[in-house]
Amino acid sequence: MNQILSPPSTWVDKYGDYLYSFALYRIQDDSLAQDLVQDTLAAALEARERFKGTSSGKTWLTGILKHKIIDFLRKKYREPVFEDNILETHEMHDCFDDKGKWKTGPEKWASNPESLLEQKVFLNIVKKCLQDLPKRPARALALREMEGETTQAICKVLNITATNCWVILHRARFLMRKCIETNWL
Amino acid sequence: MINHWTFRCKDVSDLISRSMDEKLPLKIRMGIKFHLMMCHLCLNYKNQLNLIRKAVLKLDDDKSIGNEITPLPDQARQKIKNHLKNIE
Repeated sequence: MNQILSPPSTWVDKYGDYLYSFALYRIQDDSLAQDLVQDTLAAALEARERFKGTSSGKTWLTGILKHKIIDFLRKKYREPVFEDNILETHEMHDCFDDKGKWKTGPEKWASNPESLLEQKVFLNIVKKCLQDLPKRPARALALREMEGETTQAICKVLNITATNCWVILHRARFLMRKCIETNWL
Repeated sequence: MINHWTFRCKDVSDLISRSMDEKLPLKIRMGIKFHLMMCHLCLNYKNQLNLIRKAVLKLDDDKSIGNEITPLPDQARQKIKNHLKNIE
């Protein structure tokens, strides 16, 4: 089955929204996501002879965008950045008492938690909480959960040690859970 | 050295996250399991982290109910169109 790539002049209207949402969900920054869409389509324009038609145009463009996102993260974190202290863990410590027990523990969210996955309101809270995370933890979590990258791969891209990679993912999940609980209950 | 049979909730919350990224040594896994048998708060924590993992994936699926495409703002749309026209 050979798929045909539509003419470049139609790309923005045909794929723009999808690619933008895809990038935004991983990068959590509007203008960066827009730049990445532009870079992706510009690269695709140059490489359009290499489109083989073995996958759809959308899949092909998404593949290019994924590379652009990784490239962006690599460059961004090549130099040490101070936008968020990845080892900032006081918001976690505050949840435990001196003996390391939960002060106020995780409450049950629903009698049947799996049913929450069918609720738009709940999913929208999850989406919002991911956007509100500090940037680097959010991006680490996106690489891990959406792209299925290993911690080794993530720590290379984000320029952190393996240990810090676990800390950053732990922190991302901890804050996500807390944010969801605050907004849901 | 932490005694594996007396993990604290604080350690367990860390280890639960780590167990989602790699296979932990048997001793540690047993220690977590033992803790979870007695601590419903950490069990809630574990289940919720798994639920969040599923929700994040679901939101990435463009056929999912929770996935609302965010439209590219008009200004950006026009800018990208112009850019592509210029380089074509």
